[in-house]
Amino acid sequence: MEKPERLIVDGKRLDGRAPDELRPLRIKAGVLKRADGSAYVELGRNKILAAVYGPREMHPRHLQQPDTAVLRCRYNMAPFSVEERKRPGPDRRSVEISKVAREALEPVVFLELYPRAAIDVFIEVLQADAGTRTTGITAAAVALADAGIPMRDLVAAVAVGKVDGTIVLDLTSEEDQWGTTDMPVAIMPRKKLITLLQMDGHFTGEEFRQALSLAFKGCEQIYEAQKQALRERYSVKREEGE
Amino acid sequence: MMYEIVSTVKRDYIIDLARQGKRVDGRALDQYREISVEKNFVEPAQGSALVKLGNTQVLVGVKLERVEPFPDEPSSGVLIVNAELLPLASPTFEPGPPDENAIELARVVDRGIRESKAIDLEKLGIKPGEEVWAVFVDIHVLDHDGNLIDASALGAIAALWSMKPPDVEDWKLPEFPISKKPVAVTIAKINERLMVDPCLDEENVMEARVTITTTEDGSICAMQKGGVGCFTPEELEAAYELARAKAEELRKFIG
Amino acid sequence: MLHVQNRELVVPGQLLAEGGYVIRQGAFREGSRIYSSVVGLADLHGQEIRVIPLQGRYIPKRGDVVIGVVIDTHYSGWILDLNSPYVGNLFVSDLLRRKVDLMREDISKYLDVGDVLVAQVKDVDELMRVQLEAGEPGLGRVEGGKLVEISPAKIPRVIGRKGSMLNTLQSVSGCRLKVGQNGRVMIWGDDQRMVNAVVEALLMIEREAHTSGLTDRVRAMLEKLKSEGGE
Repeated sequence: MEKPERLIVDGKRLDGRAPDELRPLRIKAGVLKRADGSAYVELGRNKILAAVYGPREMHPRHLQQPDTAVLRCRYNMAPFSVEERKRPGPDRRSVEISKVAREALEPVVFLELYPRAAIDVFIEVLQADAGTRTTGITAAAVALADAGIPMRDLVAAVAVGKVDGTIVLDLTSEEDQWGTTDMPVAIMPRKKLITLLQMDGHFTGEEFRQALSLAFKGCEQIYEAQKQALRERYSVKREEGE
Repeated sequence: MMYEIVSTVKRDYIIDLARQGKRVDGRALDQYREISVEKNFVEPAQGSALVKLGNTQVLVGVKLERVEPFPDEPSSGVLIVNAELLPLASPTFEPGPPDENAIELARVVDRGIRESKAIDLEKLGIKPGEEVWAVFVDIHVLDHDGNLIDASALGAIAALWSMKPPDVEDWKLPEFPISKKPVAVTIAKINERLMVDPCLDEENVMEARVTITTTEDGSICAMQKGGVGCFTPEELEAAYELARAKAEELRKFIG
Repeated sequence: MLHVQNRELVVPGQLLAEGGYVIRQGAFREGSRIYSSVVGLADLHGQEIRVIPLQGRYIPKRGDVVIGVVIDTHYSGWILDLNSPYVGNLFVSDLLRRKVDLMREDISKYLDVGDVLVAQVKDVDELMRVQLEAGEPGLGRVEGGKLVEISPAKIPRVIGRKGSMLNTLQSVSGCRLKVGQNGRVMIWGDDQRMVNAVVEALLMIEREAHTSGLTDRVRAMLEKLKSEGGE
């Protein structure tokens, strides 16, 4: 696709959204049998699966911590998740995303309850649009809760940015590619604390403040959908034939 | 890969059930778990299928890419099958490059497609000696509750039958050149009994398994015996009859 | 002041109450506010608050009866998988309740890898090292039967108030059950059909643990299967 002349026309983005609008969002908790907890999230054309195993015995043993569990995170993209086939296995990008995703999630988990154990989070991108790391974190937080792991809060994440001089919520891949700025943010909604922040591009101080407040607004909506997904998972499903 | 912990009690229970011709989840010996196939699950792939076999879930995506041909077949397309046993699919799967189980899985699926000549690779040349189409079949195991081979093989052939031709000038064919529907059927042997579609509990105690891949005319295009136990020739004949009959049922899901 | 109703489904981080309540389980305090730490059912009793979790792995506690699977033998005892992040250790003296001459006796004749054992948690230290004992009546190696695993969080429901669910399961099915706090249940019965019916009932309890009237539904389901007769 070639760069469009304008990414925002008459206040609307190319997909028809207003600048402060999320793409369609769908979250489902408890989608895998083997994992201790799992979640599936669609945001726009993103299709992302997260699974949690643990707390479980830490291998290799020398990585055990005597007074706490260790949270581990692996972000991975399926070879067919993007236009050009991605070679299987970790690359520098996925290693970095795994690290920042882990650091985004760790503040909410009561790791101290499980000395010597490991909690493993696997984020699997089945279909990538823009915002896979933030959508992955959103899915992982639901999967952690679905695994019954004690948490202070959930973590909701979204990207904001600047496109054609306008601050926008939840970038599309076109906006990510041709926009000026991309800023993924994850927050603990209850205490309004930021647990992930990355940015590339250009913001003035004022634009940054505006973008951050828009990220909070988007995360609030995502947080509501996360809680709803967890409630739906356990809402009464009595298969009574009679 | 770590091992599943199987208690003696569980093992004895499944083996004793087999003696009575019964199974741990109440199925008949020749009965598959519930099957569903959702095609075109991922957009960036030219073809894809999400297969559920009971609680087992496998997503297969197919992508076409330009590559250099092999020197001995300069005008022929290339088939590449890869399988990832993702650590999200089982507590026993670990991150890292494909282990022997993942490689066996990919190669058994590969042989079914390749040897049945399901894809006419001859038609997938672009510039002889310089460029041909490579068909990348990526098997992504999402949830492992047994019989990954049948789920993956079904996913692969369903994905190949759902192929949308790529929207590029070099692509001259009206559609993706596929003509056959090979289907893999895996039969496990437990306590002298043969049963199709072993679930994970059964895989953990089975003596051996055999996968027989057949095409529409009932002929065999690939086989693979696995596990440390053995089969008699009579058992293999019975397994073939089972495989042929079950393949017909499974083939309906390819569409 | 309470912010949720009794038996309400809550999620991590949800405000449960403010003030001087006592937290029993599944919640934490920040200042005067009390929040849920898990997905579960709020359980409010006077000044006591807890959240009954609906998921989660088994964490060993002293006094729990658990069902373990032997994964390793060493010269003075065994290591057992407890369906938990932490393995259990059993010394031979805590199984046989007598002194054993380890130089002379091969202890694998008492317990071997793969064996299933009903044990009690004797002690858990601050590093979560778990000591088991299995010498008392009702504990020890099990034979025959069917082993089922369900979510450990649902085990209190399998037992029921004062054992009511467990009584129903056993009396209606005619099977004998042993329930481990770690999510493992052993079932013994002569009628294969009723053993399978109990498995169905356990899965139903697991699915519907957070609903009311469950004991009656389990009883009805078992009785229906029972009246359908043998094959």
